Amino acid sequence: MLKRNLMVAAVLAGLTGAAAAQDAYNVGLTGALTGPAAGTYAPAVDGLRIYIDKVNAAGGVNGKKVNLILLDDSAQPAKAAANATRLVNDDKVVLLLNASLSSTFAPTIAESQKGNVPLIFASSVCPKDVYPPANALQFCTTAFAANYDSRAVLDFVKATAKEPVKLGLSAMAIPISRGEIDYAEELSKTLGMTPVSKQIIPPPTPDYTPFATLIKDAGANWVYSWAPWVTQVRTLEGLRRLGWTGDYIAWAHLEAENELARLKDGKLYVVGANALFQEDLPIHKEIAAAAKAANSQYPVNQMAEGWIAGMVIEAALKAAGWPANTDKVTASLSNLKVDLKGLRGGELQWTKDNHFRTKQYYRVYRFDEAKGAIVRVRDWQAFDVK
Amino acid sequence: MQLAINIAVLTAIYALIACGYVLIYRVSRVLNLAHGELMMLSAYLLITTASLFSKTPFIALGAAIFLSLCVGVLVYLFLMRRMTGEMVLAAVLTTVALGVLLRGLVVLIWSAQQQNPAQALGWVNHSLPVFGGRISAAGAALIATTALVYVGLFLFLRFSRYGIRMRAAGQNPLLAAQRGISLHVIYALAWGLSTLTGALAGILISLDSGLDSTMVLIGLKAFPAALVGGLDSLVGALLGSLIIAAAEVLMIYYVDALLSDVVPFLVLILMLVFRPWGLFGTREELDRV
Repeated sequence: MLKRNLMVAAVLAGLTGAAAAQDAYNVGLTGALTGPAAGTYAPAVDGLRIYIDKVNAAGGVNGKKVNLILLDDSAQPAKAAANATRLVNDDKVVLLLNASLSSTFAPTIAESQKGNVPLIFASSVCPKDVYPPANALQFCTTAFAANYDSRAVLDFVKATAKEPVKLGLSAMAIPISRGEIDYAEELSKTLGMTPVSKQIIPPPTPDYTPFATLIKDAGANWVYSWAPWVTQVRTLEGLRRLGWTGDYIAWAHLEAENELARLKDGKLYVVGANALFQEDLPIHKEIAAAAKAANSQYPVNQMAEGWIAGMVIEAALKAAGWPANTDKVTASLSNLKVDLKGLRGGELQWTKDNHFRTKQYYRVYRFDEAKGAIVRVRDWQAFDVK
Repeated sequence: MQLAINIAVLTAIYALIACGYVLIYRVSRVLNLAHGELMMLSAYLLITTASLFSKTPFIALGAAIFLSLCVGVLVYLFLMRRMTGEMVLAAVLTTVALGVLLRGLVVLIWSAQQQNPAQALGWVNHSLPVFGGRISAAGAALIATTALVYVGLFLFLRFSRYGIRMRAAGQNPLLAAQRGISLHVIYALAWGLSTLTGALAGILISLDSGLDSTMVLIGLKAFPAALVGGLDSLVGALLGSLIIAAAEVLMIYYVDALLSDVVPFLVLILMLVFRPWGLFGTREELDRV
């Protein structure tokens, strides 16, 4: 139902876009709203849509509406290219967003560069060009960050482990996941840990048990997985089926909060940069109320990424003033501070050279079997991004 | 021992899927390239029946399996029946289109998010000790179901009236029709049974490790098993599944996990080069392809 709503919204936005263009901030997004990858992106995009609707209902930005144009690329590069071309050339957007697989990045970036339109990666993985020294036109609001995530994870493992760490590693056979696990393998050695098994698992795999068997047989007492949630959780389930009782740590993707509650595994830790909704912060209540009012059918606890992107867009457009153009928006994005109201460990700050964030904060959660609830294991830990 | 268990589970998965390809091909000479999608659809039907009959898991399971059987029959009655008498290629392309349609429908109806039928049924996938190794309850169910399905199909095709008619229709449809066998009934039965076996595979896989729309690709991975064994042979499908599963797991264990993804197709290419009709297939049948 929601997919249909998103697509209808996308079509309506497209039809009304040209008419509204003259008197509104045009912002365009190409994202995986349908297709196999949609589960990772569509909830975030819906969070963004709800946020922008809320801003418009409150009078817009600088007295002007934000015309958010959502186009579905189904995570296909060709569709993303067509979407980006349309958004830049026909809809004359002042800001472009990507919420899709990394395979769609190249065509989206190419259009962004050709049209000199700033591009924010929102819920999709942050490309290396957003880190210092950043590309002038590329920005990223997404929580996870290559290398920094593994530093945070291994820092936690080192602080928590009561005995020498024999580390098992698990990745999906996609470049971003493999690269991060390769990095973690090397980093673990410098921290005095012993990497004993590294499994690069092809998607899709009917049975994860053979991979889990190798990790278990290698004698791992900790396993770290940085991959799409499906690989992280199925490797864990494979290990548990084999009777493995070690500690497992993984990235807190959108699905993590519901999955921690489903699995009820006290030795599964998730490391993330977003506060889980069980914290029940005022901002969480605000998102939940807005999602309910919008009749969204996605779990509200998967909307933080989209909400954060919305907050950033609002702040950037406000600073750019009216009338805005791509240069003004780029300039405001390059000198931006946004108070995320507790959704992350601190404010999101972009500078001329750093379009990721100047500080990256991590929190660790797990399910406490005694309390029957998700608990915070480690509070915000800050890492400088240089 | 764990190695053998892992091979057995993967063999069961591939064999249960592969027999669906064989059943339809054997009877109607059509390669059903929507088999993976039909398998996935059945697993998603379980999500719906589980929500309808949340307090009675066995009814939910039975309803999903029955609905899958009906889907298979309906696919024949409303789609593939119209392909009767047309070129085989047209029928195969129709199944490709059906697959694309089903993939889209599944995402529209159930979303692309990860689903957990076991949780919906309130069922826990326990780990069981077996001969020094361990196997999940769903994995054990997969092996048992595959054994039952193959024994059942053997008895059905060998001894039952409709099984004999199916074999007759597969061997010579014109003669079978002249002898009074209703080909449409036989073909519809074949589609129903094929979808049923695919449904069993899809449901058990989803109970073991969750469900999302990438399950289609698991259906595709079982295709080499059917081809290696011989597309018109159930024994061949079983042996082909064992070969493919063993090659895949041994590759993960002893060479490189990344190669496990390509090794089924490598085995398939070798088979096509040296024995294109498969281990238990027949030359005549292949010529018709």
